Amino acid sequence: MSDHAIQSKPADDPAFQLPSLLQGLTFPLIIAGVLALIAGAALGHFGVNPTFGMSVYLTSVMYVLTIAVGALFFVLIQHLCKAGWSVVVRRVAELMMVMIIPLAVLFIPILVSFTGEGVLYKWDDPGYAAATGIDTTVWGEKSRWLTPGWFIVRTLIYFAIWGGLAVWYFRCSRTQDETGERTLTESMQGAAGPAIIAFAFVTSFAAFDWLMSLAPMWFSTMFGVYIFTGGILSAHCAIALFTFLLQRQGALRDEVTKEHYHDLGKLIFGFICFWGYISFSQYMLIWYGNIPEETHWFYERSQGPFLSISALLIVAHWAVPFLAIMSRHVRRRPALVALIGAYILVMHFIDIYWVVIPEADHAHEGLGVGGAVGVLASLVCVLGMVMLMVGLMLKVAGNTRLIAVRDPRLQESLAFHNI
Amino acid sequence: MTEQTKDKKVHGVVAEYTDVDSLMAACRRIRDAGYKRTDAFTPFPVHGIDDALGIKPTVLPWIALGAGATGTMIALAMQIWMNGIDYQYIISGKPFISLPAFIPVAFELTILLASFGTFFGMWALNGLPRFSNPIFTNPRFDRATDDTFFLYIDAKDPQFDQAGVERLLGDAGGEQITAVVDDDTPTKIPRFLLTAIVSVIALSMIPALIVAKMRVTTSDKPRFHIFMDMDLSPAKDAQQTSTLFADLRAMRPDVPGTVARGAFDGNLDYLTGIDMEELSMTDAPRAQRLVAAYAQGDDASAQAGGDDASADSGDAAAQTDKTPWLKSNPLDVDMDVVQRGQTQFGIYCATCHGLDGRGNGLVNQRAQRILATAWVPPSNMHDPTLYQDQYPDGKLFSTITNGVRKMAGYASQIEPEDRWAIVAYVRALQKSQNASLDEVPAADRGTIEKEVADVKQQLKEAAEAERQRQEEAAAKAAAEEAEQATEEADADSADDQ
Repeated sequence: MSDHAIQSKPADDPAFQLPSLLQGLTFPLIIAGVLALIAGAALGHFGVNPTFGMSVYLTSVMYVLTIAVGALFFVLIQHLCKAGWSVVVRRVAELMMVMIIPLAVLFIPILVSFTGEGVLYKWDDPGYAAATGIDTTVWGEKSRWLTPGWFIVRTLIYFAIWGGLAVWYFRCSRTQDETGERTLTESMQGAAGPAIIAFAFVTSFAAFDWLMSLAPMWFSTMFGVYIFTGGILSAHCAIALFTFLLQRQGALRDEVTKEHYHDLGKLIFGFICFWGYISFSQYMLIWYGNIPEETHWFYERSQGPFLSISALLIVAHWAVPFLAIMSRHVRRRPALVALIGAYILVMHFIDIYWVVIPEADHAHEGLGVGGAVGVLASLVCVLGMVMLMVGLMLKVAGNTRLIAVRDPRLQESLAFHNI
Repeated sequence: MTEQTKDKKVHGVVAEYTDVDSLMAACRRIRDAGYKRTDAFTPFPVHGIDDALGIKPTVLPWIALGAGATGTMIALAMQIWMNGIDYQYIISGKPFISLPAFIPVAFELTILLASFGTFFGMWALNGLPRFSNPIFTNPRFDRATDDTFFLYIDAKDPQFDQAGVERLLGDAGGEQITAVVDDDTPTKIPRFLLTAIVSVIALSMIPALIVAKMRVTTSDKPRFHIFMDMDLSPAKDAQQTSTLFADLRAMRPDVPGTVARGAFDGNLDYLTGIDMEELSMTDAPRAQRLVAAYAQGDDASAQAGGDDASADSGDAAAQTDKTPWLKSNPLDVDMDVVQRGQTQFGIYCATCHGLDGRGNGLVNQRAQRILATAWVPPSNMHDPTLYQDQYPDGKLFSTITNGVRKMAGYASQIEPEDRWAIVAYVRALQKSQNASLDEVPAADRGTIEKEVADVKQQLKEAAEAERQRQEEAAAKAAAEEAEQATEEADADSADDQ
């Protein structure tokens, strides 16, 4: 109940179209993105070594994929709890989640990396087994799960479930823009429960397969949650940032208010705490247990350049944003929420980088970050990936409205007000 | 305003409104009129009413933040003091002040104090606990939870003037404008309630009193068990007897013939320190006994088998020991093995034999001090009879395994590999006392030569000083003697006279 009524605009209002400046950026971004992506991976491949090049590429893919998957989770959870407040920003999240489809295509190089140069996953490397002192029995058991064929099958299943959910929800939402059918909302809500369960399994197993198995002797049941947490945190940041940019270009001016930023800010704050909690839970049990095959993973990350990155993550990924977005006054200022969102998106990249790159040291030669060339390759590659993804997202956004114009809860969302 | 309320204290004025919009309009009017101590009562939450009434954001978040930060500090200070300073206790080899281990407690205490701060801070800010509010005296106020909206202005407001406020609320569309007066219900607690409370308190003490009585008195009645199966568990404790087995032991020994997994690899030379092939040729029965003992995995008989090898390894019997001991260490001795041996020697052997192996460890020192009667001093590892040529590695291994004289066998405490590592370290210790200069790395020889020269110089000076002192003492003694002789001579002559 509010003290002032909000008039919703007609469905064809220009405020719901992609602003012309962003529309014009679509193809330049896609082209520049592809070029930078290839340049970055090639720089890693030839400048450092083939495995490093592939690791750099995997870092970029996983960075944007976790955000897209986080956006999918955002959409699912809003339907699951029949949330009203989020309708005005849900389309932005939907645009992000359909990026799972191009990312599935971009995942192909990782699947073919089992053969030839640049082998990422060292599951059958006897040298690795000897170097980490792993028990042969455990190794044998793991080898039954970690085989290239079964890995590819699993990857296809993951993308089928994620992609299927993303496309189906996006289609339903867009159809409702035209027809305004209430039953579409009801079926999306009905599917959200089972979808969340499938999502939880797929995300966890994908994190185990694609990232944890880079260090095949290491295992942490918390790892799937850890990767998911980074993704959902970044998805909220990306939603806030992208919505803010759209508003700056003139779209959605009256629809998204500081109340919506306030709620996004609350969720960002919550997920920062959750990220810190999950990361620490994972670390502390391993630190306390002090079992060689578990501590190895953290031991590698406390050596050389990775020690500073580990310390940086504690301070800059947890402490700084935690304090920065704690205040209600900050959360109620859209520009600040968007700024902190952009900052956390950078931190999320460092987080994924910290997970992948220490494992790029295939033959245990003390490769580290691959020197200045390696760092440059990582930055160019991820920049290319982000540009490509933003370009593709703008391409999709150009053909759709930026808000779910006939959602039955739109009125509630427009009038949303924090107590 | 009725007659009865006239002489009572007025706490404020309340007005009724029939819908949200008129309430919000009235809220804005009284806010704009400058009233600060106001409140609105609605059947459901109304968005934006804080702004309409001009209510400032609460300070509760700051209280929560302060309480949470206090909790963190208390938790960290407490743990650092307890575990790092006051009662240092090594837990899983972590440092005393070990931040990762402190974080869970710090986290919990932060949450606890922040929750308490928020909860009790909310109470304090709301003026709770409080059993009644004067506004409840108005029977119409019950409808605040149903279908009517109320707007209240407190008499403590600096601008408060009853007539003016009533007019303002009326102008803003309020109906049924009433003054809020003191509650005239008696404040005295009813007698029956007091009796009930006292009775409950008294009754609640009975179980505690029963327990207290049980603790100080004896009884011939059967004991009262709250958890029968926990007090009287059918499972046996370690040293209890059982009629289930012929030997009455509840704790079962290993079944003869069983070998723990990984405990036996069949290499008897390695496990006994004896060249078994040679032994079977010279003393076949004993070799068979040993094989049988180890194959059964029976520690006791295995030790007995080894024991008759080492029992006579005393000084007198040393000449008659015909056991073909292994001459050298079966391990590939390298730096790691020696360091491993040093650690194990430090843990198990140094207490008696001393860190330098000279047989003067802390246990020996104490035994000497208290004049322990049954004490046999531990061997000096640097005694030439314990060198490799007279006391082979295998025999040393067997001594560690099975013990000798007062020394107990360490087979059950030290793994065979570590026992061999200790043997290697003992050899290194012995070597260290007889090393020659050309065994030292060339780079370090200069330093050692200099040290040796310094020591020799010091010894020489000390010897020189000693010799001088002795000479002086001798001269003095000679002088005294001469003097005494003179005196005696005088005395003699005196006697003679």
